[in-house]
Amino acid sequence: MAAAETEAGGLRSGMAGAAGPAVDEAGAGAGAGAGAAAAVAGPAVDEAGAEAPAVDEAGAAEEAEAPPPPLPGLQLVQQGAEARVYRGLFLGRAAVAKLRIPKRYRHPALEERLSRRRTAQEARSLLRCRRAGISAPVVYFVDYVTNSIYLEDIVGAITVQDHINSVQQSGNDTSSLLTLAEKMGELLARMHDEDLIHGDLTTSNILLRPPTEKLDLVLIDFGLSFISGLPEDKGVDLYVLEKAFLSTHPDTETMFKALLKTYAATSKKSGPVIKRLDEVRLRGRKRSMIG
Amino acid sequence: MDLTHQLELFPGCSVTLLLFSHVKNAAALRKKAVEGSIEGALINPAMIVDPFQILVAANKAVHLHKIGKMKTRTLYAEIIFSLSPNNNISDAFKKFGISDSDTAVLVVLVVDREKTVNLEDIASQVEGQQVSLDELPQLTDTAKVKKMYKVTPQEEKIGTLLDSIVCRMSTKDVL
Repeated sequence: MAAAETEAGGLRSGMAGAAGPAVDEAGAGAGAGAGAAAAVAGPAVDEAGAEAPAVDEAGAAEEAEAPPPPLPGLQLVQQGAEARVYRGLFLGRAAVAKLRIPKRYRHPALEERLSRRRTAQEARSLLRCRRAGISAPVVYFVDYVTNSIYLEDIVGAITVQDHINSVQQSGNDTSSLLTLAEKMGELLARMHDEDLIHGDLTTSNILLRPPTEKLDLVLIDFGLSFISGLPEDKGVDLYVLEKAFLSTHPDTETMFKALLKTYAATSKKSGPVIKRLDEVRLRGRKRSMIG
Repeated sequence: MDLTHQLELFPGCSVTLLLFSHVKNAAALRKKAVEGSIEGALINPAMIVDPFQILVAANKAVHLHKIGKMKTRTLYAEIIFSLSPNNNISDAFKKFGISDSDTAVLVVLVVDREKTVNLEDIASQVEGQQVSLDELPQLTDTAKVKKMYKVTPQEEKIGTLLDSIVCRMSTKDVL
């Protein structure tokens, strides 16, 4: 899959390599508007915007999936396994458009159902978060035809991953990282108390709203989220974060410990969850199941 | 005076908002709207906090219209329905449409590329003064809006009232 692109300057997005098998989907396939891919880039993208839009023209004839949305100032931000993320202006506001990538290896009926379910889950979870007072982007529009979702763009935000990396590299003020960990623990505790499981907790799915010093966290990417009250699911959610944390950021064991401590203090139902987390840890890969 | 915005996802489609105050013939207008003889959606400005709210509703309505999945019978009715946080159509008309005693009216028009916006036509039918949309915040009944959309106190801390409203509007059909 194409790597993530930077936003500066004119650039060609990596969409050419998007579909693994570069099949020209002129007629068939479950993808929306596949045949229109070539025609879209022309009138649709507003080139007059200040930023250089990074839409791939039909130079790559393999551009088989859904065409990018015709938003002014459109830029491809990231291409993940599940979806392509674009930035642009929607109804006059900075917005993020998430277009799901159709997986051609799946049976079309399954693909449709799964895509729709994930989009719906994402929208539902974002609303649930908002209602509970957990910071998450506002949903502007959900398109169930192309299974795309248009969200608020938090301008100037950086991921916690980038923040931790920059703080560690600059080598000073690691105590602020402990405060950050505590804030994260608090946020996750509140989320789990709403019986909301994120499903894909990593440091790149938590954003810091500017100014960074305020440690105002925003959760994003609820595509794999679901509702559950079971300590098992919450424990697994935390385990996923722990694994992602420790593998991406070296020497952060104390940070994660602080996170768990605040989590346990903030959440009312944390006892069984932490217990479960310890059990899940023993379960992981290359672990002996003895005892 | 009026506000026009081109819908990005539907090139060629643009939405125009007109605000009238000191309106005297609200009852007659409402009747015309129910009959379908007015080419526009007549909305109660007390329930609107920002033009963006209307744009989101219009965007959704146009989308559903294009795919033939509207819940109501006309595009303009669909816009009013999209404003509502629940799926009760008649309730939406009652709360977001104009009532006979209203003195302010917000008119929303949606035009396709070919047709031209006929502002004078609409303006002539309304017995009132057209004012700039900047006056909309003065006409908003914030308490009523909060009650209608059931905005929780913890929600108010993480975003504006507009954020809460827009989120509910766009996700009401998935819940």
